[in-house]
Amino acid sequence: MARLSMIEAINAALHEQMARDDRIVVMGEDVGVDGGVFRATVGLLEKFGPERVIDTPLAESAIVGTAIGMAIYGMRPVAEIQFEGFMFKAFDQIYSHASRIRHRSQGLYGVPMVVRAPYGAGVRALEHHSDAPEALFCHLPGLKVVIPATPSDAKGLLTSSIEDPDTVIFLEPKRLYRLFKEEVPEGEYRVPLGKARVAREGRDVTLITYGGMVSICEKAAQHVASEGVEAEVLDLRTVWPFDVDAIVQSVNKTGRAVIVHEAPRSFGVGAEIAATIAERCLLSLLAPVKRVTGYDIIPPLARLEEYNYPDSDRVVRAIHEAVQFQ
Amino acid sequence: MDYKALIQVMDPDGNTDESAIQGISEAEIITMYRLMVFTRLWNGKALSLQRQGRLGTLASVRGQEASNVGMGLALGPDDWFCPSFREYGAMFIRGVRPKDLFTYWGGDERGARPPDGSKVLPVCITVGSHLCHAVGIAWGAKIRKEKLAVLSSSGDGSTSQGDFHESLNFAGVYKLPVVFAIQNNHWAISVPLEKQTASETLAQKAFAYGIDGVRVDGNDVLAVYLTVKRLLDAARNEYKPALVELFTYRMDDHTTADDASRYRSEEMIAPWRARDPIDRMRKYLTATRGWNEGKESDLIAECTAQVEQAVKDYEAIQPPHPADMFGHMFAQEPWHLREQKEELLKNLVRPER
Amino acid sequence: MRHVFRLPDVGEGIAQAEIIEYLVKPGDKVKADQPVIRIETDKAVVELPSPVAGTVVEIPFKPGDTANVGDPLLIIETEAEAPAMAQGPPPRKIEPPRPVPPQSEAAQAARILATPHTRRLARELGVDIATVKGSGDHGRITDDDVRGVAAQATAPPPKAPTAAAVQAPATAGFDFEKYGPTRRVPLKGVRKRIAEVMVRSVSTIPHVSHFDEADVTDLMAVVDREKALAESRGIKLTVLSFLAKAAAAALIAYPSLNSSLDEETGELVYKDYIHIGIATDTEAGLMVPVIRDVDRKSILQIASELQGLSARARDRSIDLEELRGGTFTLTNVGAVGGKFATPIILHPQVAILCSLRAEPRPVVRGGEVVIRTMMPLTLSFDHRVLDGAEAGRFVNYIKDLLEDPLRMLVDVA
Repeated sequence: MARLSMIEAINAALHEQMARDDRIVVMGEDVGVDGGVFRATVGLLEKFGPERVIDTPLAESAIVGTAIGMAIYGMRPVAEIQFEGFMFKAFDQIYSHASRIRHRSQGLYGVPMVVRAPYGAGVRALEHHSDAPEALFCHLPGLKVVIPATPSDAKGLLTSSIEDPDTVIFLEPKRLYRLFKEEVPEGEYRVPLGKARVAREGRDVTLITYGGMVSICEKAAQHVASEGVEAEVLDLRTVWPFDVDAIVQSVNKTGRAVIVHEAPRSFGVGAEIAATIAERCLLSLLAPVKRVTGYDIIPPLARLEEYNYPDSDRVVRAIHEAVQFQ
Repeated sequence: MDYKALIQVMDPDGNTDESAIQGISEAEIITMYRLMVFTRLWNGKALSLQRQGRLGTLASVRGQEASNVGMGLALGPDDWFCPSFREYGAMFIRGVRPKDLFTYWGGDERGARPPDGSKVLPVCITVGSHLCHAVGIAWGAKIRKEKLAVLSSSGDGSTSQGDFHESLNFAGVYKLPVVFAIQNNHWAISVPLEKQTASETLAQKAFAYGIDGVRVDGNDVLAVYLTVKRLLDAARNEYKPALVELFTYRMDDHTTADDASRYRSEEMIAPWRARDPIDRMRKYLTATRGWNEGKESDLIAECTAQVEQAVKDYEAIQPPHPADMFGHMFAQEPWHLREQKEELLKNLVRPER
Repeated sequence: MRHVFRLPDVGEGIAQAEIIEYLVKPGDKVKADQPVIRIETDKAVVELPSPVAGTVVEIPFKPGDTANVGDPLLIIETEAEAPAMAQGPPPRKIEPPRPVPPQSEAAQAARILATPHTRRLARELGVDIATVKGSGDHGRITDDDVRGVAAQATAPPPKAPTAAAVQAPATAGFDFEKYGPTRRVPLKGVRKRIAEVMVRSVSTIPHVSHFDEADVTDLMAVVDREKALAESRGIKLTVLSFLAKAAAAALIAYPSLNSSLDEETGELVYKDYIHIGIATDTEAGLMVPVIRDVDRKSILQIASELQGLSARARDRSIDLEELRGGTFTLTNVGAVGGKFATPIILHPQVAILCSLRAEPRPVVRGGEVVIRTMMPLTLSFDHRVLDGAEAGRFVNYIKDLLEDPLRMLVDVA
């Protein structure tokens, strides 16, 4: 086993998978010679050549659109969009075609494509480089949305996403790219899509979260443990379709749910999870479902970023409210 | 490269440059004619059905039969075809069944699924975006070293779309085996060509991308066939992408929900009646290939019968079951769709098929 | 036939159209697809073609009129069949449910501040949440508040009394001596017990009796033939053993007759064992010893066990346990005679099968009158749990086995 950061784990997954399956093609801006602006694709051009590791023109719609064509043809394209903020240029291809072609052709064609992008805030970046638009993709029928929280999950989830017969939007929390390293198994392995991970067990409150917020929740859980409150941290991993059984099982056990995501609050993923909990866990609830999220604002630039990005204090406050509810 | 010359082999009166068509057999020419006639009859029947409430809104291809048929016949057996929504003739040639297009325009997704192995994409409603898909297919084929070409077809309006620009650019940079056919029928609903672009021709836009651009009389099925075939061969064999402008005219309204008389006059349409693609071919066949009224009426009767049969077949199809809505969203049905489908079925009087 | 051509929906969302002109008049012959009428909508002037060939017979509108989508525009007399989409069955959607009259409980619930979890806790502890005082914010009732009330309850809530127990004795205050001499003998022991059980059964279970008769001619022949074998083993073989075996097979096929209704929880308890009680007449009264796992025993084994149980019942050496655990009861009054009976179910079972004396009788077979040995059967069943159709099918199943004994060989495990 090696200790890898998330970016290294993603790179490892791409190396392994491209060696295993020559239908896989990596394409995007600066992914070849430069190895990707975050170095996610470093070394791939040298090993697999320019036919399969493609430096594309600056054209997000065509990057995704041609990847769709390749996928229809029978390849397994992994298209990189340089930052989540630029995904909207390709949104039409994702919305009008990637999510629909299987249905449009009634199953004759599918689009087994991965669109990966660095995502989320916390690195004091430029405008359009700190967004969290996952809910927009979740809301489009026909797409899957995956957001890893750890290096080992990133490798296993990316492998599963590449193998998935449908389009997967793979959002990589850029704050986590190099934040920490952990033991990542060598060789191929898969983390299945649609299955959550209990990052920490607890019986008093369930923290439902994903991506960069998982470590925030773990920190909050540690804090309240010293107060005698045992918080369970559930890392969804696949944001949609999420592991509803894991959510229901945990909330039925604890009776309290706090959903944590950095994306804006209203009409976000938390709203869907809260509704799901109300539908399926009502009689177990000891307190209203709480959401700790970014505010309904454009993510601020560096100077004010920390006030919008949920931190463990905000999560702890929400846990207290849930536990003290009478 | 001459981006402006209009390639023509058969003029509106049927006078044809025989030397140019030496490679085409008489049987093939008759086939072209029959396919154009069938397309027009199918199209007319579809419009009539729509007016009777038996079909939903659809787009007429009237006047563009030569572009449709010439394109369709030019495709090689392994080539892919990516249509927009005004290519019925080409789609029939590639194996799409007439009753399927009735079914699709009748509002039933089952008609949208092309036949297995046909290498035809379903009708694409959004303008121009499927050009990227054509590029992607060509790209995949080049990487896999599979010898084939890809043909996309879209209208003059599509040349204003960002995806048109991005697609031609990618094709040129990567030298992909793709030919972009533009059926320039002079109208994007009510917007005439001169309001769509300042370019003198559409073919010359290819110059900006470093690829070949060719302009053809879109109502001359022989020229369309020969030119598109030549370009597809060059794409397939030499990785030379190209843009081909098929200069034609939309004789009917944009769709059955449109009333073209609001923005164009009979004076504008009239010159194009004289350039009708089927009339000129009939004149040519009558003058040089022994065509006569008897053969003509036989052909019409035969094609009409086929169209009528397709209507019968279409109207005999059992209505789709509501549960079908949930099919084909993903390769495997996820839990939330299974639950939602069960909820729907629970509230049906007769949940069985 | 008459074909009515109605104004179709000609374009996105159009609901009406103005008639501009008819291109045909009554009496004209028209071809399919021939334009027959021009209309104008908000979007366009449109020519409508005829869907059929035929003769125009009626023109309902005139130029300048407004027609709505669906209005008849033209009536055509045609020889051809009217074109019609494969309509399929009519639309499938169910009407929205009728509103439920508001429960008074629901109205009250609005004024009680308690989470669903707390309400469920109250239900589980048998606490009426409306009587709990809330100590939480804004008077909210907490789980602890509920538990406090539950702990204070002095006596456990009385079990819902059985119907039998609550009924005041029907004969209370009756003066029989008024009309002549009488003699009083107390009901004791088995008789008293039977009385209690019968009252309980009848007052709790809605009884329905299903009458039938089985042709046991062939079965009697089998009994006769195998009698010697049975006797060689000290067993008295009767039709009753066959009836028990057939009933066991039928109970497997119709498990609801092998169940019990738990009146407290409202659950139907299906049992995966078949223990059949055989009503036995003794000096002391009716006893019902139980043969366990009838489905796993051969007919001779059943007969043997039955013999032993009956003997022990009669000499009062039977163990109480042998009278318990039955899932179904057979009662045979063949020895006494009679044609019809309405047996009473032994609560908490849900059915009882009574067989009466098998006798030769004239019956019709294949259009002719023949003499066959017919055995009357009555099934009484609990109509809360079963309906007549299922009960009838159960009896038919048994009949089929009795009337064709070889079938018991091949079709019964």
